[in-house]
Amino acid sequence: MLFNSVDYLLFLPLVTALYFVIPVKWRWAFLLLASYFFYMCWKAEYAILILFTTLVDYFVALKMDSLSTRRQKKPYLILSLAANLGMLAGFKYLNFFSESVNFAMAGLDLPGRVPVLDILLPVGISFYIFQSLSYTVDVYRGTTKAERHAGKFALYVSFFPQLVAGPIERSNNLLPQVNHPQAFSQVRLVSGLKLIAWGFFKKVVIADRLGVFVSYVYENPDEHKGITILLATVLFAFQLYGDFSGYTDIARGSARILGYDLMINFNRPMIARSLRDFWNRWHISLTTWFRDYLLYSIPYVKNKKVMVSLMYRNLVITYLLMGLWHGAAWTFVIFGLFHGILLVLENITENYRLRFFRWTGISRFPGVQTTLGMVATFILLVFSLFFFRAGSIENSFILISNAFDFSTFKQTIGYIIRNNELIFGILMVIVLLTIEYFHEKYNLVKLVLSRPTVIRWALYAGCVIFILFFGVLYKQKFIYFQF
Amino acid sequence: MTKKFTIRILLFLALLAGLNFVIDWAFKSFSAHRWVNLKMDEQFGEYDGTLTWLAMGNSHNCVNTRILDNSFNYGSPGENYIRTYYKLKYILEKTGHKPEYLLLQADISSFGPKISNRYEYNYYWIKYVDYLELARIKNDRDIINYWIEGKFFSYAGNYKDFWLSIVYRIKMKEVNMFRGYREHRDYRNFADVPDRQKVAWDKAQMILTKNEPLDPAIRVYFDMIMQLCREHQVKVLLIRFPEAKEFYEEQERLVPVGKLYEEVTAIAEKYMVFNGILDYHDMFFEHPEYFFDPDHLNVKGSDLFTEKLAEDLKKLTSFRPLEFSSHSGQ
Repeated sequence: MLFNSVDYLLFLPLVTALYFVIPVKWRWAFLLLASYFFYMCWKAEYAILILFTTLVDYFVALKMDSLSTRRQKKPYLILSLAANLGMLAGFKYLNFFSESVNFAMAGLDLPGRVPVLDILLPVGISFYIFQSLSYTVDVYRGTTKAERHAGKFALYVSFFPQLVAGPIERSNNLLPQVNHPQAFSQVRLVSGLKLIAWGFFKKVVIADRLGVFVSYVYENPDEHKGITILLATVLFAFQLYGDFSGYTDIARGSARILGYDLMINFNRPMIARSLRDFWNRWHISLTTWFRDYLLYSIPYVKNKKVMVSLMYRNLVITYLLMGLWHGAAWTFVIFGLFHGILLVLENITENYRLRFFRWTGISRFPGVQTTLGMVATFILLVFSLFFFRAGSIENSFILISNAFDFSTFKQTIGYIIRNNELIFGILMVIVLLTIEYFHEKYNLVKLVLSRPTVIRWALYAGCVIFILFFGVLYKQKFIYFQF
Repeated sequence: MTKKFTIRILLFLALLAGLNFVIDWAFKSFSAHRWVNLKMDEQFGEYDGTLTWLAMGNSHNCVNTRILDNSFNYGSPGENYIRTYYKLKYILEKTGHKPEYLLLQADISSFGPKISNRYEYNYYWIKYVDYLELARIKNDRDIINYWIEGKFFSYAGNYKDFWLSIVYRIKMKEVNMFRGYREHRDYRNFADVPDRQKVAWDKAQMILTKNEPLDPAIRVYFDMIMQLCREHQVKVLLIRFPEAKEFYEEQERLVPVGKLYEEVTAIAEKYMVFNGILDYHDMFFEHPEYFFDPDHLNVKGSDLFTEKLAEDLKKLTSFRPLEFSSHSGQ
């Protein structure tokens, strides 16, 4: 079930109403049922995969909890990792592996081919597996106690607002909330609805509108040149942001209405001053997951000394895997590798850059320095998106080489100016960035709340009508569903 | 939840519903598309002459009814076979009108998935289309949402239509329409477009899907149109309207044209009412000045084309039965 569907607009109020009517002790069961229903609307049989992850990790965690040393717990952790990552590999990466092997064999003129299976990628598999894995690792590390209640643990894994595209929650945040459900709150309802509306604005007014132009360019890479490709890639950055952060807002808003607080997943990433800053603001739940469960788990100490070179290596490995997490394709490997290498370079050159800013006198103007950082980060991000969005490496290179061919500049500018939808989309991006800026500075929600009811209601109703009127309302899937 | 809060929520929902009602009503009243289509419905309702030729499909700017006697041009912008079927059904079963011939648009673009998935202007088409049946045939229950949109949220997602309506209402003080045909769009000339090939490519991309010339639902509805015509003894002539050369070339790059028409002919030939395909697609290949854009004739083009069509149809009615399959307009 998509958030941007009539089905969901009926599902959420119904679930909310019933949830608060049901006695507190059965609310978990109802929410679990609703979550499975939500998932099964897409493909019923794949719910068995969630059930499998749930059962494995539930029993593994219980067993680990009964053991005292990490040495004793380790085999069970390995079992959980093998079961979960094995399932992920089977459903998401097997064909990628087979196709890569076949490509190599064909290149080397070797006979025979590895079979490529006809498997449909289960929606949200990377999200719920990572969420469940974080729990078993936490239990292994002793930072979380194993959940004894199988049903409540199942709800932790499958909680519908964040089941298919995150945020990837942690057990120490979500499980206590599952165990202590909150009573209905008017404040939560209103604030959740506002968040949902904001998410819809980002998704249907911005992302889906920009998506039309981006697809037009990226689905025909040979046919476009220069400014069209550059603009499409820049707008893809905003499409991706609007799409994914819009989803997160709807997820957080829905959860908030039900009494759950999900973690913040985006913090104005488009104004990041460096790539490190960007990854601290973009898909925060994934970045922190990789930081907490992978980056610092790979050895970086040698002879009792912290080895910077090993840390850099680990950083590249982590980002490469983060790239691969997004999709089973070489384009995502390059995307991850690109970010990993640049983060290392950013770290190595930090002092040189500071010295350069001091030498040129730019450091006396912090605003200029910040702007330069923001522009450079955005350019690097956009460049990496050539790989993220293009369907293949071949297409990525076609797009990159054509992007700097400005022979049709005049015609393209004419086309862009004539394209009302595109102009409107760009305008909406500016509106989004402006609202985000003012919200951070003045807390617009508080500002609105301090206004008289009449003004507030007019504003809310106006927002709903605006989204309906200017939204692209034929159902577009969320980009991150494919991951 | 306190009683006060419940009342406030209900009041807010009532406000929202009221606002929606007003905007929906205003949009429906203001929409130029609906305005034009309702005028067409009105003229068709009032038409009491002989109805030999009924043009349907996306033929709105092709068949000039001032030139072709005893004809009515009932084509609407964006009309596909799904909509044509329901409108024709309505005409034949509810209006008392029965044309002798149906001139059905059969361009390459009439058959693909993109045209099949055009659902704009539901606030007008709700009058004709059976959305439940359509949802069943397409096996897509989300189609019901289009009924909801047409009924209660006409403005939703339609800001472009609002904008167009402003432009049209400024340009057209009244709808100058004669038996469904309206002269318009003569203020642009495709010959003046510097990058015609690119514009044609864009248009072809917009309306066709690579290697998918015939959408399954369109196939079903095309067949249903033929069945309906058989039941009511209405003869069917498929017409390929003139296209700009660049547009045809770009379409040919996307879909196998020969194979498409083989399939279409095979479906149509099952019915005795099928009278052949009149093919004018290359009639103005050397005359981009007769087009408004790659796939729409301007007034001059429409006049010249209709003269030729009228001449051919005259031959058809004088010397029947006549084999007209793959007749070239050249």
